[in-house]
Amino acid sequence: MTWFDLLGFGPKGWGLALLQGALMTLLVSMAGLIVGAVFGSLVAWSKLSGNRPAAAVGSAYAAVFRGVPELLVIYFVYFGSSALLTGLANLIGIEGFVGVPAFAAGALAVGVISGAYQGEVFRGAYLAIQRGELEAARAVGMPTWLMFRRIIAPQVLRFAIPGLGNLWQVALKDSSLISVTGLAELMRVSQVGAGSTHQPFVFYIGGLALYLVLTSLSTRVFDVAEARATRGLRRPAS
Amino acid sequence: MDLAFLSMTFLRLLAALPLTLEVWALSVAIGAVIAMGLTWMRVSGSKILSAISRGYVFVFRGSPLLIQLFLIYYGLSTFAALRASFLWPFLRDAFNCAVLSLALCTAAYSSEIFRGALAGVPHGQVEAAKACGMSGFKLFRRIIFPIALRQALPAYSTEVISMTKATALVSLVTLWDVMSVALKIRNDTAVTYAPLLVAGAIYFVLNFLIARAFIAVEYYLSAHLRRRVV
Amino acid sequence: MSENGTSAISVVNMRKSFGSLEVLKGISLTAQEGDVISILGSSGSGKSTFLRCINLLETPNEGTVTVGGETIQMRKLKDGTAEPADRKQVDRIRSQLGMVFQNFCLWSHMTVLENLIEAPVHVQKRPRAECIDEAHALLKKVGIGDKADYYPSHMSGGQQQRAAIARALAMRPRVMLFDEPTSALDPELVGEVLRVMRSLAEEGRTMLVVTHEMSFARDVSSRVMFLHKGLVEAEGPPAELFGGSKSERFRQFISGQAQRAD
Repeated sequence: MTWFDLLGFGPKGWGLALLQGALMTLLVSMAGLIVGAVFGSLVAWSKLSGNRPAAAVGSAYAAVFRGVPELLVIYFVYFGSSALLTGLANLIGIEGFVGVPAFAAGALAVGVISGAYQGEVFRGAYLAIQRGELEAARAVGMPTWLMFRRIIAPQVLRFAIPGLGNLWQVALKDSSLISVTGLAELMRVSQVGAGSTHQPFVFYIGGLALYLVLTSLSTRVFDVAEARATRGLRRPAS
Repeated sequence: MDLAFLSMTFLRLLAALPLTLEVWALSVAIGAVIAMGLTWMRVSGSKILSAISRGYVFVFRGSPLLIQLFLIYYGLSTFAALRASFLWPFLRDAFNCAVLSLALCTAAYSSEIFRGALAGVPHGQVEAAKACGMSGFKLFRRIIFPIALRQALPAYSTEVISMTKATALVSLVTLWDVMSVALKIRNDTAVTYAPLLVAGAIYFVLNFLIARAFIAVEYYLSAHLRRRVV
Repeated sequence: MSENGTSAISVVNMRKSFGSLEVLKGISLTAQEGDVISILGSSGSGKSTFLRCINLLETPNEGTVTVGGETIQMRKLKDGTAEPADRKQVDRIRSQLGMVFQNFCLWSHMTVLENLIEAPVHVQKRPRAECIDEAHALLKKVGIGDKADYYPSHMSGGQQQRAAIARALAMRPRVMLFDEPTSALDPELVGEVLRVMRSLAEEGRTMLVVTHEMSFARDVSSRVMFLHKGLVEAEGPPAELFGGSKSERFRQFISGQAQRAD
């Protein structure tokens, strides 16, 4: 069987499966990034709030999830949440093992790790906002929640784009580790294909190539987003 | 959670630490050498070398380490020519494949760090050295490298720490590192949290120590940036 | 005049283009030992480029540079530019020319003393102890004898520039090149650097100085060269040029400088 047969869309071809895997990779990474955004915002808020205990918790969370292997976090979240769920199920009378869906566990794991880094991105983005703009909002009597919605959040997002672009790429690559849970994302599909056809080289090269497509498309998207977002900003002369 | 179990777990994981450290140290060192080569190719002025370097970085930074690892460990064995060659005894060993894969991956990230550090050397100081008659390797060794090194340290420390975390992946290619042993303990004893938590603690302490070491080196090398002690 | 009658430094018909823009259109200069030549001109006149071509920080397209009787060998390239034929000769000649930069360019990771002994020890291969002694003496001479183990970032601009001058002197250069040495300094620090330069001139050092400091050009130099758009517009002793030059452009230039100084 040639490469074309193996990776193509014919009857024995894995092309469709690989593309579906790539789609799953995109979905779980996006979910992970969103979870990470939630955690990251909390971390950033905790550090910016001036509340010492909260800042300590935020820093501890970030330090822990930056300092342990991503693979370990994925195992921990997957096995741990399944054990938790099984325990809860047993309590209400359901016997046996109850597994948490691999997608949810994977997204949560990737998100929890991403959040540790997104905290710094959001904090930096917030600090980059000119103090004067916030004072001007106060001066016209804008209530805090409105100020957040209209002035702070859009600007934070704008300044955060480069950092988030980078973390998105990290999430895409971290998502490959979710394959250990059996989730049918791109890495797992490549692995299954390799195993079932005994052609590991073909499938891992194919999978790698698809990852390259995903990451380069992502770079383009974020470059465009950054260009549009920084339209109004004055950039340093050259 | 009984103490006996915890300490047994801790000791068994500790016993696996040397393998983790070996993989880490070798891949960081080899990766750094490859990275220096890649950076040199990039700044050499040759369009071809620069393109090769950029292509390498694109491939190894644009794809997950796991698929690179599997490609090398599982994929290379399909080539009969490779199996017959002198490289095979080297490449059939999981340890060697793992170190090779991790080294190739970190080389891509490291070379970008080195490239940025080189670009950050103030051009005027390089010109001042040239104006004194310095050139070639002497110029690099006495002026460019020391300044670039100081610029590279913060980002490079992050990369080195990424590498300790990356070593956990070798558990997926039959090596008995800390990660593998933790999973085995979990499988054997059906205890979910403890082995993973202890393993996590070991990695965390390891990374903490590495970060501290880098901070110490940075401190030692940056007397010129601190306020003068009278 | 030096012992065998050759000039300290001689540049003949130097031309330099950046792409299609010709910045130096044929400039010649000869300096005997002890000459202090101020090179003046508005921005874009090519004066810094001229100085940087002398020690080949920029490569001239045409022209020769001769230092102490030795001419730098150049070879022409296909695209019309040129390059030095012998790297070792360039390094050797550069070590006879001490350059002082507008932005000081002291090596930031080394102390002042280490800055001073770096080239003498590693390029000129002189004994370390001798270089250290001479460095201390030079630092005292420029007025920062107590700053030997300071890092550049811990000193003011004027102190850094004086250290940079000492660094150039440490190489025992035949000719010193100054590229706008006071332009990056706060006004109150300019004086201390000019004083050092003046004392060097009075010692009989051969100096080529690109500068905007009219007082230095007028009072300290033995000759003034005024560049305009890549050519020598006026040249001669300061008394002649400042006393009422034939060149209209030069008269406009100095009156413009005087206005700026007010």
